[in-house]
Amino acid sequence: MAHRDVGPPGGVNEQVNESLTDVEVVARVLGGDGEAFGILIRRYEPGLLRFATRMLGSADAAADAVAESLVRAYRHLGQCRDPGHLRSWLYRITGNRCRSHLARRHMSDVPLSEVPATALADHADSWTALERSEQVALVERALAKLPTEKREAFVLKHVEGLSYEEMAEVTGARIPTLKMRVHRAREALVVALGALV
Amino acid sequence: MKQLLLVALVALVPGTVCAQGPGATKLAGRIPPEAVPAIDSLIAAAVAESLPTEPLVQKALEGSAKGIPADRLVNGVRRGLVQLREARVLVGRALPGQPQPEGHVAAVAAALARGLPPAIAERMLTMATDEPPAPALHAAADLVAHRFNPDSAADLLVAAHAMGLHGERLLDVAVAADQELQRGGGRTPADALARVRAMLPNVPTPKVAVTPHGKTGS
Amino acid sequence: MTDRLDDAIELLKTTPAMSVESRVMAEVRRISGPTPRRRVFTWPRIATVGLALAAGLAAILLIPRTPDRLTPGESEGIAQFVGHFPGARSVEVVGSFNNWSRGLLHLRDENHDGIWHAAAVLPAGQHEYMFVVDGERWVTDPLAERFVDDGFGAGRENSVLIVRPAGQR
Repeated sequence: MAHRDVGPPGGVNEQVNESLTDVEVVARVLGGDGEAFGILIRRYEPGLLRFATRMLGSADAAADAVAESLVRAYRHLGQCRDPGHLRSWLYRITGNRCRSHLARRHMSDVPLSEVPATALADHADSWTALERSEQVALVERALAKLPTEKREAFVLKHVEGLSYEEMAEVTGARIPTLKMRVHRAREALVVALGALV
Repeated sequence: MKQLLLVALVALVPGTVCAQGPGATKLAGRIPPEAVPAIDSLIAAAVAESLPTEPLVQKALEGSAKGIPADRLVNGVRRGLVQLREARVLVGRALPGQPQPEGHVAAVAAALARGLPPAIAERMLTMATDEPPAPALHAAADLVAHRFNPDSAADLLVAAHAMGLHGERLLDVAVAADQELQRGGGRTPADALARVRAMLPNVPTPKVAVTPHGKTGS
Repeated sequence: MTDRLDDAIELLKTTPAMSVESRVMAEVRRISGPTPRRRVFTWPRIATVGLALAAGLAAILLIPRTPDRLTPGESEGIAQFVGHFPGARSVEVVGSFNNWSRGLLHLRDENHDGIWHAAAVLPAGQHEYMFVVDGERWVTDPLAERFVDDGFGAGRENSVLIVRPAGQR
């Protein structure tokens, strides 16, 4: 597993680099400056890791999926048809990767957080009285029960904050379909969260 | 005396890599010694379950050639065995009550490894029960890899098959769909599939000259 | 209950405390080679190379390279491998068709222009492979149209080739 990098010392240069647009960074990378790809990693890995963790239910699996996705993105950067929509393209690759991971294991194997199930089931206190880690575990459990497509739509919309247009680019689904998936996911989560506590 | 005992033990232990099978011949001397017992055991399990062993042998050879550490090499082979088992379940569902050709199981496992959803693999198997399934499976995997909706992709391939496009021609259908999508201009995956559907059965064969893998590879 | 859903969404927004940057950049540097700034002709850059070079490269790819002495049988086909590795000393193809054995299928760069190529008769069907550059660097063929994770947990991908029987064309 990777450790969090301190990052290269750079002062003003680093600030300038980090303010480059995606189009500018992509042009640099395609021009031979492989190190510039680090700018894109730092810019997008938090969201991609969050997305993959929610899709796969495991931080380790998410790290693998996101690392694989970013390497694949580097290899195929020349094929990104519109660097102005790089964010959607990266989420698309990562979503694809997560689906591949999920296809290789059964839905019931999606691992949950570290909090033991018995601790959750026996807890009779109200939601607000729970420890944050217990709340997270309950939410993850509820999310894991959703079918992949609804989970993906819900996370992209409400956690990652993508627009429906971006979500359509990421998933290939039509906007009305995505709206329905998000709506059904919300309904299911409300019920699941209510039943768990 | 010790050597005699050792030979006797090796002969008695089933599935010893050094002792038996065409896979054993290929693997002999090629995989790290510390991985031999586990790889042996996995291949023996495949034999016992009437699963194809060649994919596992290939995976072991691959990992060894790449210098993969023994524990990850074993995990890679183990993953292959799990995929073969999943594939066999799918083939059994698609072809109930029929003998399961070994080629079918291996082809489905390869497609699952490429990320083809199991439900789509099953549809491809039931589409052409008396044909080798690999081209249809790979065509579907190609479309899914290019982020076409899996069900819509399968619908297109089923339609193409119904119009007489069989075997490797289904790969041409997948290529055509991707080419339509690459044309851009705001074209969505659904648009691209619709365009290819409209041209069935006259899907072009990809031009020989532009395929880096030559006249007969794709 | 929607308050609880809103709380849940906020909890889900927690960013995991980990980074894959060093791991990804290690792979990026491995793919790029030791001097990425001087490596003008990497495959991801082909799309942005000047028109003259792109046209020249396209001409090379379009020239039929039918090997005269390779005669595929009925259930075999010819596969041609092309790779752009300027400065490489050797390039070989290692894959399922040669039991992942080294030293069996070497590419050649006869014109010393960094374009390496080889052809082989292979059984019809699916094959996985990678290039090995300078005897030690395993590289996924960027021109391949299909890829599959090699399953060993390091994010490497094999290229996938589907050889069609020669008799079909």
